[in-house]
Amino acid sequence: MNREQVRAKLTEVFQDVFDDDDIVLTDTTSAKDIEDWDSLEHINLIAAVERAFRMRFTVREVSGMKNVGEMLDILMERAK
Amino acid sequence: MIFSSLIFVYLFLPLCLISYAAVKNLRYRNLVLVIFSLIFYAWGEPTRIIYLLLSAVLNYLFGIGVVKYKGKASKAILGVSLAYNIGMIGVFKYSGFLMENINAIFGAHFPVPEIAQLVGISFYTFQVMSYVIDCYWEKVEPQKDPMKFLLYVSLFPQLIAGPIVRYSTIAAEIDNRRTTLADLSGGLSRFVLGLAKKVILADHLFRIVDNFLGGSMENLTIVGTWYGVIMYSLYIYFDFSGYSDMAIGLGRIFGFHFNENFNHPFLCKDITEFWQRWHISLGSFFRDYLLPLSFFGVRNKYLSLFMVWFCTGIWHGASWNYIIWGLYYGMFIMLEAKLGKKKMRKIPLPIRHIYNKLVIIIGFGIFYFEDLDKLLLFLKNLTFFNSNGFVGIAEQASFCNNIFLIIAAVICTFPLLDYAKKLSERSLKTQAALSVSGTVISVILLLLSSVLLVDATTKAFLYYRF
Repeated sequence: MNREQVRAKLTEVFQDVFDDDDIVLTDTTSAKDIEDWDSLEHINLIAAVERAFRMRFTVREVSGMKNVGEMLDILMERAK
Repeated sequence: MIFSSLIFVYLFLPLCLISYAAVKNLRYRNLVLVIFSLIFYAWGEPTRIIYLLLSAVLNYLFGIGVVKYKGKASKAILGVSLAYNIGMIGVFKYSGFLMENINAIFGAHFPVPEIAQLVGISFYTFQVMSYVIDCYWEKVEPQKDPMKFLLYVSLFPQLIAGPIVRYSTIAAEIDNRRTTLADLSGGLSRFVLGLAKKVILADHLFRIVDNFLGGSMENLTIVGTWYGVIMYSLYIYFDFSGYSDMAIGLGRIFGFHFNENFNHPFLCKDITEFWQRWHISLGSFFRDYLLPLSFFGVRNKYLSLFMVWFCTGIWHGASWNYIIWGLYYGMFIMLEAKLGKKKMRKIPLPIRHIYNKLVIIIGFGIFYFEDLDKLLLFLKNLTFFNSNGFVGIAEQASFCNNIFLIIAAVICTFPLLDYAKKLSERSLKTQAALSVSGTVISVILLLLSSVLLVDATTKAFLYYRF
């Protein structure tokens, strides 16, 4: 999958977790842009992304991710 | 040594400031701060300061080790550091509690160790743990200079009762800092403000609390119980946020800028927001280092929430009431998460305020009573499940005698300084007037606090225990 395909799949996960079909993800999308994306919902989101992409984030990645761009970087890296 | 004592305010601090100002080289300034910090700690723990030094030496090596070695070796060093740090807290804080519970559950008679808790261990250990983890995560460079690392660990403004200062917050200032005139005056005012919160408000509020909740409570009326626990909620806020003000102010005097630890928590609209405003450095520690963990291979937000609030509870003390208190908050935060922010917002604001104040006040009642029988009695007394009557003469008299203290305390829970700041932005004239009044108020508060300190047996801060 290329980055845009990963982004499209990730968008579906976000829409599902936050129950909002209007979510559009850019690299700079962060918790500030999605109202329900707080530290607790972040855990739910991470679990859903891990399930969808069949991978595991490290604790450092879960704690340090600043925006969707960084999440995409990690997903692309793991897909290699 | 505690901040709210004459010896600290009129001997230790001036001597430290003079020595600090007398040397210009930052290396020697750091040395001055380290020496004074060790004296500050040794004042209360003259022999067991060795554990603080041991923690500094080992975590200094752990920090370098997790970066120098890669892969499994680095992970192993991180594991050893966590085991050591958590183990030290376990031994000094929880060994007696653990043994008591093992004896109770299994009917055993193992001797219960009586180890006095090390002052400040929960705070400085959490600081060094965050440092080693951040080194492992490559968020910070390990500190190579042992003196600078010892300064981070022992820095007396935040050593005993927080805030839990992350290394990344002050790493640059350890290497290079200067105190501006604004830092000096702002830091001193902040220190005096914290001192006044402690000596004028908290210590007097505690006398009321002790009168109502400190006794047998068997004859306490419903209003008396509510009155006592509301006073306790105010007391604990002024005691702890007063300490944080003093710590932040002292840090600023020496050119360090710590993050805020309180943000007018009683203004919160819900419990989730309360914890974003109360003891912020502890909440952010658990958010950054505990919440992202998966437990038993499972990543689940409710399991993570349980772990965070269990740990928040037990961090406060080796007693079941703290665990109950932590999980009690976890439960409300879970309910709010289930409901969602949009639905929460639809609830009328007055109802949300009544709801969160009730939860917070009853929560502090749970926090107060380490004796679970007394806690049960307290909960009965809060409601109509006792036969002590609705209101008695004691609480009426106490309320009338302390009316000005209570009004002052309630007013001071609001962001008065923010209001003044906004006002000062209107014109230069207002700014000048407010600046002069600020200085006058600080001097009055310092004098008043000093008089009260001369007259009183100084009470330690509540959070010293943790």
